[in-house]
Amino acid sequence: MHFSLLLNSALILFSRLASASTSSYKEQLLLRPLPQNALLASFNFKSNSSSTSFEQQNFRYFPRSLGQILQHAHTKELHLRFSLGRWDAESWGARPWDGAREGGTGVELWAWVESENDEEANARWLTLTNALSGLFCASLNFIDATKTIRPVMTFEPEGIHPKGAMDKLQLLHGTLPHEVVCTENLTPFLKLLPCKGKAGISSLLDGHKLFDAAWQTMAIDIRPVCAADGECTLEIEHTVDMVLDIARSKRPRDNPIPRPLPIEQMECDTSKSYHGDDTCFPLHKSSEPAWSVSEVFGHPLKGSCTLSDTETTTESICVNVPSDRTIDVKGAFNISQSSHNNDNLRCFTLPTDGSDFDLSFPEQTLQAPTTLQKPNLYAARSITGYGQERGGIQAVVSNPSPTSAVSIVYLESLPWYMKPYLHTLRAVISPTNANNGHQNKSKSRSTEDNLNPVKETYYRPALDRHRGTHLELRLEIPASSTLILTYDFEKAVLRYTEYPPDANRGFDVAPAVIRLLSSRETEGGAPGMYLRTTSLLLPLPTPDFSMPYNVIILTSTVMALGM
Amino acid sequence: MILRSVFMLLAIAFYASAQHTSNWAVLVSTSRFWFNYRHLANVLSLYRTVKRLGIPDSQIILMLPDDMACNPRNAFPGTVYNNADRALDLYGDNIEVDYRGYEVTVENFIRLMTDRVGEDMPRSKRLLTDDRSNILVYMTGHGGNEFLKFQDAEEISAFDLADAFAEMWEKKRYHELLFMIDTCQANTMYSKFYSPNIIATGSSEIDQSSYSHHADNDVGVAVIDRYTYYNLDFLETQVREPSSKKTIGDLFDSYDESKIHSHPGVRYDLFPGGEQPGRDRLVMDFFGNVQNVELESSQTWNETAWKEDLEQLGRMINAARKRHNDTSTFEDVVGTKGQVVKSAMLKREGAAKVADKNSLSNQAVGVAALLGCVGIWIIASWFEAGK
Repeated sequence: MHFSLLLNSALILFSRLASASTSSYKEQLLLRPLPQNALLASFNFKSNSSSTSFEQQNFRYFPRSLGQILQHAHTKELHLRFSLGRWDAESWGARPWDGAREGGTGVELWAWVESENDEEANARWLTLTNALSGLFCASLNFIDATKTIRPVMTFEPEGIHPKGAMDKLQLLHGTLPHEVVCTENLTPFLKLLPCKGKAGISSLLDGHKLFDAAWQTMAIDIRPVCAADGECTLEIEHTVDMVLDIARSKRPRDNPIPRPLPIEQMECDTSKSYHGDDTCFPLHKSSEPAWSVSEVFGHPLKGSCTLSDTETTTESICVNVPSDRTIDVKGAFNISQSSHNNDNLRCFTLPTDGSDFDLSFPEQTLQAPTTLQKPNLYAARSITGYGQERGGIQAVVSNPSPTSAVSIVYLESLPWYMKPYLHTLRAVISPTNANNGHQNKSKSRSTEDNLNPVKETYYRPALDRHRGTHLELRLEIPASSTLILTYDFEKAVLRYTEYPPDANRGFDVAPAVIRLLSSRETEGGAPGMYLRTTSLLLPLPTPDFSMPYNVIILTSTVMALGM
Repeated sequence: MILRSVFMLLAIAFYASAQHTSNWAVLVSTSRFWFNYRHLANVLSLYRTVKRLGIPDSQIILMLPDDMACNPRNAFPGTVYNNADRALDLYGDNIEVDYRGYEVTVENFIRLMTDRVGEDMPRSKRLLTDDRSNILVYMTGHGGNEFLKFQDAEEISAFDLADAFAEMWEKKRYHELLFMIDTCQANTMYSKFYSPNIIATGSSEIDQSSYSHHADNDVGVAVIDRYTYYNLDFLETQVREPSSKKTIGDLFDSYDESKIHSHPGVRYDLFPGGEQPGRDRLVMDFFGNVQNVELESSQTWNETAWKEDLEQLGRMINAARKRHNDTSTFEDVVGTKGQVVKSAMLKREGAAKVADKNSLSNQAVGVAALLGCVGIWIIASWFEAGK
């Protein structure tokens, strides 16, 4: 039932074990079919180096280009995300990595920067964003003071920093919700990997498939892990998660536009009254679709990356399918099954001689459909109101658990031209409409102790053109209840030159970050559970830019007529 | 024997001074929005061509103002095509875009060309050329008489461009420069150039439009412009390998006005010697890459020369500052003393905790203030009644 949770924890545990040696590299791919012909492919690449060799610029698996940027900008821990699309929690269930390896739409960056004071931190942050913009071909240099915040509760360092070092570290966070993510971002990402996308599972990463995914996120996480005796290792983790539509990915590259099949090849539902020679209602298929790795990713896997550690990792590709699903394997391999106390995980070792490797799944009707782990939280956010002057934000966060209350942190980083009124902030708890016996009970309880769900508020108001709003709330949501958070905001009028070239499209507002605070005390180093809403498009009062021209033309005409 | 080697050295030095030692390409598309797909395809075609002929990514500055490959309207995700046969995917698997989206502005373009950038600007976004660098500048977009529009929001004029090139020449930022532009009334854009060693060519005369070549029905828009199409046609069929001896004159002679549907122009007069030396330059001098190494003898170069230069520069700056009654010296400006001012840790900026509004102390303060006011009013009215 909860095998995906087990899997996640198994992967995390696995990585912890692997990180024990000083310099190592490990890669793993997980494939998990999802309902509605979707396929989750989760790539993970981990390498580390000891901090002494890092300081001596002795790089082995750790990418030199990134290492030098970190040293130059005095950055101790860094998290960078490139994301596209939306995770459909209703259909696909819980997020991979509990949402800890994903970012909001566009680009998101947060880092712990070593500094003596705020000015130095800001300067080093600026250096960092500029250097990363050159490395990743993204406009990260647009993360300026107006897009930078210092979150208080939402993020905690994943690494274990040396004692006393945390006092000098400052957390800075910036997002670019408008940034497009495309092949030019994947190219440098692949170049940072030891096998450069030429061999091993990274050879499957192809921009044509990755950027056609329904949801994708590329992540880079760098963290130090220090033992009690002061010995540190620096870990870098590259993660790529994507949800592909199997039918869409199987279309040929040169002819991707779906065209109707000839009627003879269509499978029709003959029970329909209107079924005939020229009418057809497509038959709903209950069977699992046929697919193979080479069809979905465009080419087979090109052998294993020989740089990866052979002692700690033998299985680099794992498939999470029910045990009665048939898998045909092409290429040399070693199969290991139920190695992680899990009947539904089958792992394979890639051939070391560089020959191609492929997995194919025939069309099959399964006895028991795949069960998905339910997410711990659902969240959606939208803009309310009308007009050019004001608007409102409504965030709906629901806790599906029938038994346990959850505590969350809700973080908003709003652009300066969107000015919220904090006094209009309302948080209302209502029981989720469910036809069960608990409803009345929970309702009476919620009215009984109708306490404010907002437990803590951190707020930093915006300054026009200098900084954005930072709003961080700690909220408590009772079992099987929905929290509706609303506030009003005012739209600023921009100066003529501040409008972007496509001003009529609207202005992107960064996604809200929701962190699920777990009841048990998390030890340092465990990534938390996160959830991000989609980004919003905020229409601002936009002038007709040709108007000054029209006025000049008309005035000139009138004057000419007058003379 | 010694005399002979000196002569040889001199000969090599003379030979080297006539040559370039590096090649750079600045490829700029200036149009945003999906229906301008062809302008991005133009510039990406040139990107593939110069990369094919050997210029590495680190020496190509590519400016793409919009995202066509991953655009939701693109039926071919991750690809850009310049031909309806869709034989060549211009976006490919390996591409480095240096300036993209809102970064493609007139200001950024001029700052790039003249290297007036901030200290944090990464090397990949800078044009690190010197007086031995040949530069290919290719621009495409929508333009008019002596202007080229950037992203439909601002324009660069022919005068701006001419001044930028002049500044580049003064700063010894190029050896020879080939300027190509594909836009309406393109030839007006290079008409104002006045710095030497530039060969310029454009797609159409004043009052002439430049047209697109053909559309791809599945992409849904025109995929390439005529002038660029026939340039590429020449480069792909005639300049097949880096050892090609085709000249710039051959390239310009290949322009067929009946096919291009406009009158391409060429300007040689800024080039030393005029038309003939310009025509004799190889296509590979601008579209390909050389790695000539220039050796400098130890006699003309010594370790202290740059320090003397720096000191002289410092004296000039100090003199200029004295003229402007500025007291700070060159030392302060350059910061050679390397002082690090450590200020005490102040209160960190960041969000402040919002106190609970319903707290009892707040209410008590409010009630006390209210009672105080009432008290004052009672006392005042008592005094007034006493009178």
